[in-house]
Amino acid sequence: MRVFFTILVCKLLRFVGKLIGKGSSLPGQVALKLCPDILSRVKLPQYIIAVTGSNGKTSTVEMIAHILMSNGKTVAWNKEGSNQIEGVTTLVLNSATLGGKVKCDILLIESDERFAKYTFRYIKPTHYVITNLYRDQLTRNGHPEWVYNAIADSIHDGTRLILNADDPLVSRFGIGKKDVIWFGADKLSSDTAELESVYNDGAYCPVCKAPMTYSTFHYNHIGHFRCTKCDYKRQDTAYTITSVDLDKGEMEIDGKHRISLALKSLYNIYNILSAYTVARIVGIDGDKIAADMNNYVLKNGRVITFKLGKRRGTMLTSKHENSISYDQSIRVASAYKDGCDVVFIVDAVSRKYFTSDVSWLWDIDFEMLNNPNIRQIVLAGRYVNDLSVRFSYTDIPDEKIKRFESIDEAAQYLDSDRGEYIYVITCFSDKGKFLGKVEVD
Amino acid sequence: MKLLHLYYDIMNLYGDYANVSALCRMLEKSGKEVTVDRLSLYDTVDLSQYDFIYIGSGTENNQKLVLENLRRYTDDIKSYISSGKCALFTGNSFEMLGKTITDSSGKVYQGLGLLDFTVTEQNKTRVTGDVIYEADFLDKPLVGFVNKCSEISGIDNHLFTVKMGLGDREGSQTEGVRCNNLFGTHLTGPALMKNPHFLTCIAELVMGEKPSTDHLGFEQAGYEITLSELTKRMNE
Repeated sequence: MRVFFTILVCKLLRFVGKLIGKGSSLPGQVALKLCPDILSRVKLPQYIIAVTGSNGKTSTVEMIAHILMSNGKTVAWNKEGSNQIEGVTTLVLNSATLGGKVKCDILLIESDERFAKYTFRYIKPTHYVITNLYRDQLTRNGHPEWVYNAIADSIHDGTRLILNADDPLVSRFGIGKKDVIWFGADKLSSDTAELESVYNDGAYCPVCKAPMTYSTFHYNHIGHFRCTKCDYKRQDTAYTITSVDLDKGEMEIDGKHRISLALKSLYNIYNILSAYTVARIVGIDGDKIAADMNNYVLKNGRVITFKLGKRRGTMLTSKHENSISYDQSIRVASAYKDGCDVVFIVDAVSRKYFTSDVSWLWDIDFEMLNNPNIRQIVLAGRYVNDLSVRFSYTDIPDEKIKRFESIDEAAQYLDSDRGEYIYVITCFSDKGKFLGKVEVD
Repeated sequence: MKLLHLYYDIMNLYGDYANVSALCRMLEKSGKEVTVDRLSLYDTVDLSQYDFIYIGSGTENNQKLVLENLRRYTDDIKSYISSGKCALFTGNSFEMLGKTITDSSGKVYQGLGLLDFTVTEQNKTRVTGDVIYEADFLDKPLVGFVNKCSEISGIDNHLFTVKMGLGDREGSQTEGVRCNNLFGTHLTGPALMKNPHFLTCIAELVMGEKPSTDHLGFEQAGYEITLSELTKRMNE
């Protein structure tokens, strides 16, 4: 009776919430008050697939849902991205019958990496994807080892791990586990022999702390690593990116599935690979997955194309306080052979909480912009001076850089006869301030 | 002038390396010839040949590893400090100079014992936040960020007084430690880059004369904006 009542209340609150445009956390929060162990009292489907990690959670989950649904599976997933226990509770109860049976083939959960341990106390995933561990929002997350410990507390016996073999910080979750499913990339044409990053989170073995070596770097600390002392090393993969051509915008998985990329970036190919891996495990045919992922454009608003006067551009939503997210976006812009202008906006460091900390700017590899493809660099926002200081420690010629504290003035300046394509690299917290000045496609 | 960035790869969590970049530039702009050595766990170091030593923040595990590595230089650090030369330890690196560090499991690590304080870590909550500090040797407040999971007790010769945010432990009105020209503070990241007046003070100690500050236009403007943002928060 209590289960029935709690589910009913949750569904009603969600229904009303949707009408008045409220978020998806509150109904779950109320349900957990009414019945704290409600999640362990519902009947869950055969597959419960969880996704966590620093970057790519939302995109990966969206892709998994897209593939599974277009292959006739029913999927319940947290589309709105509310990824702590309250949001997950709303998702589960809203997908359940009043008798407490979740009616879908697959329950797909994006989970916040620090709070996964609370969520999975009640819902044990059958499969658990961990994408990567980066320096992400360290003003709240502390550091990657702190997050590692939080995720480790969320892994329970009987859950099958699906791990990124190329990330030494993630790969460590698989130690001592026999049934891990590994995904990763072979040596790629875009790889480098030396690290290309301001810092090296793969310098020392996460297990024994001896120096590590890499036979190849995909990007930052992601690559083929091996400890010089203990037997910790990159594992062989079951699902593999066998080649990539970022110029042409093509990737190949498992030597046979070619996929054209709507977004020509390495993080996109990893998101596609993890989605592919999950879909294969659920039993979808590789060819079908490749067809579903071909030229797939994310609907989560991370990549937005626009017109500004006569000029065209793309906004690459990146995460402030996340240097690898910025590095990836900078790589995309730097590869634009016809020549482009790049805009960086740091106006509010975060959308959800206040901080004035800009230490993370020093971890971004802005030096990559010192490249003939990049014609002009526009810095804007409240923290334009901090951006300027950071750029003054690169070798980029000062005459390439324009500075505006006001985002309006930056947009006015960009509305010119210049023919160059525009890349805008900024965060959720600041993107609306620029998009309000342009015509979004 | 010779600068040492020690444990540059393993104690560098929050862009801390930029402290050394800022000092290096100021010395060069002041007409000095500067070399920067970046050394770490597997290098042998002669501390006495340097005019400035810097260590930044690390994870709790890496700090313990570095502490064991640094132990062989205890006497060298002691004579370096007594000689009056300048060093800056930011984040949890300065915790190594005290008597003990007790980790979240209750295990006690002996510190280098050069200073009289003790450190206690926990692993439940990350203690983070923007701060404003003041120092008797600076004419303007400092702005910055603290990111830690430890509390410190027993510092007499403190470095800063707390205007806003976190001090050595909950409710503490003081932060950090000073011993001759060794500065230890839990400020994380590029504190010198963010506070041009603190940078100027350090550079003057390293050079023994007034450094050139003409190149600090953006630094100064960035500092003023952050100070006004933080002051606004403090008064809300």
